[in-house]
Amino acid sequence: MQVSPEASFVATTCLPLLLHSQNTDGGWGFRSGSASRVEATCWALHALLNAAPLEAAESIGSGFQFLRAAQLPDGSWPASQGENAGCWVTSLACWVLLSEENSAKAVASGLRWLCDDWPRDSSPWRRFLGRFSSQHKIFPINTSYRGWGWTPRTSSWVEPTSFALLALAESPEELLPTAAKRRRKLAEALLYDRMCPGGAWNCGNPMVYGVAGDRLVLATAWALLALRHHPERPENVMSLNWLEQSVPNIQGPGSLALARICLDTYGRKWPLDESAFHDFYQKNEFLNSIQVAAWTCLALAPRRPWLATSSREVS
Amino acid sequence: MRNDSLIPSFRRPASSVVIRRAANYEQDLAGLLYESLLQFKLPIKDKTVLLKPNLVGLDPLGVMNTHPSVVAAARESFLRLGAAQVFIGDAPAMDRDTEAILESVRLREYAGPLARTFVDLNVDDVERVPLKTRASRLKELYLPKTVMGVDFLVSMPKLKTHHWAGVTLSLKNMFGIVPGSCYGWPKNVLHWAGIDRSILDINASARPDFAIVDGIVGMEGNGPLQGTPKACGVLVLGNDPVAVDATCCRVMGLLPEKVKYLSLAGTLLGNLKLEKIQQLGETIESVRTPFAVLDEFRPLVG
Repeated sequence: MQVSPEASFVATTCLPLLLHSQNTDGGWGFRSGSASRVEATCWALHALLNAAPLEAAESIGSGFQFLRAAQLPDGSWPASQGENAGCWVTSLACWVLLSEENSAKAVASGLRWLCDDWPRDSSPWRRFLGRFSSQHKIFPINTSYRGWGWTPRTSSWVEPTSFALLALAESPEELLPTAAKRRRKLAEALLYDRMCPGGAWNCGNPMVYGVAGDRLVLATAWALLALRHHPERPENVMSLNWLEQSVPNIQGPGSLALARICLDTYGRKWPLDESAFHDFYQKNEFLNSIQVAAWTCLALAPRRPWLATSSREVS
Repeated sequence: MRNDSLIPSFRRPASSVVIRRAANYEQDLAGLLYESLLQFKLPIKDKTVLLKPNLVGLDPLGVMNTHPSVVAAARESFLRLGAAQVFIGDAPAMDRDTEAILESVRLREYAGPLARTFVDLNVDDVERVPLKTRASRLKELYLPKTVMGVDFLVSMPKLKTHHWAGVTLSLKNMFGIVPGSCYGWPKNVLHWAGIDRSILDINASARPDFAIVDGIVGMEGNGPLQGTPKACGVLVLGNDPVAVDATCCRVMGLLPEKVKYLSLAGTLLGNLKLEKIQQLGETIESVRTPFAVLDEFRPLVG
């Protein structure tokens, strides 16, 4: 049987990089040989679970072990070892640990932490103060919507909000805290409010000083994946159109991988040929990024169980 | 190891800043920089150098990021001066796809393949760094090991106005060492801690040894992303980032003492006053190019 160039690239370049880069503690760093981090470990695990669940069973098992050991007593996960405060990577850890049967308790406590973590920029007190500030003219956003920040007690941003929505959407009802439904509703509204004029997203500043912010592929892909159960909404359609048109001009393999995952998820045709990822690799070897290798594995996989839940509506 | 002593004494010697004319990015910038760097007698033989340009976003028109020809010229110059290794590193603040930014600015075309030359500081290994000043509410930051371990750190900003800080030069450029993998895109925790004060804390703890400012084409108005390109035709470099930034402000027609973070830095980290800066090369007056600023920064205009 003939192997496609994409499958061959995954099998000969991306998967070996992931498998050979696992640290002895079970985790992955962002580059081969670097210290284990929660985020890199989550992406490597998603990729291996998706591409080689049986062949990599041992690696996957020790990766899960690393994640469980890294969880903080309050249920959150820190960005790097030694930190004693959790952050946005908690969403990623919960999401991937859903694939592991012994981690339900860890996930439930992580989701509880997420739902208790309210951004500070939209607190009632801040909103009251905002009435007297000129900031709303500079950043015209609706502060009654609330998502998630990169770090606790800061501001809502598009990507961490998308990650939290994805983790909550993929989680079974019995693991969700009572606040989850409300948080999802507010967070989805926030994403739509932060959309750039004409569709698509950047980090979360659609307009600054009256000028539209530049749209970014990664933020757009994550937001669209988080909002994928509203495929008919005009905002989704506009944003998908922008993403689709942007693909030929994408200049980084990470963006390319996420665009591919997103367009596939929405049933759109992929416009590039099979050598695109390999060609990117030839340029800078993905800057040795484990995360990009993992995203590429996920993008080029024929199936996506890690995005299993496609239509859990927020009522 | 780098000199780790905190805060120069108030009887510190004058700083040296060189202004060079450079009309465009096509000229021999490596020769110009090498010749300029020789004047400083920098102790970098066999040392590891990290160049920290300002790479803030996708920039096909080359107006918001440090131009790759300046970065490549600096790399070539430091290698020619005897550095053992010269890395380029940054942690772009708004977009997680660092490679897309590098490709959009064409850094590979100028500096060669980047897999072993470029360090993505957003995802570098990190270490806990207790901050040496407490200007902000931050007590510590997790910072890239590459930055903290390198022998010689060079801040390489673009000459730009900034809609929150007034100007963004070599000190503000150091915001870009803070790793997104810990603090996000953007590094919002620094905004909450106060931009001006965070700039001071970061520079006191991860002190750049040298600064080279790309002022060939800068940005005025609503910088650092959405302003207007402004041809200024200079490279400004020096051994004291505070003095370099002060000189850049004067070139831009702005008062460095009125830039909050620069004024703070002038009391602790370096020389702000004109009489404490040995100006070499072109005079400030001969290259002065007034930059437009947003209304709230009108008081900065000299």
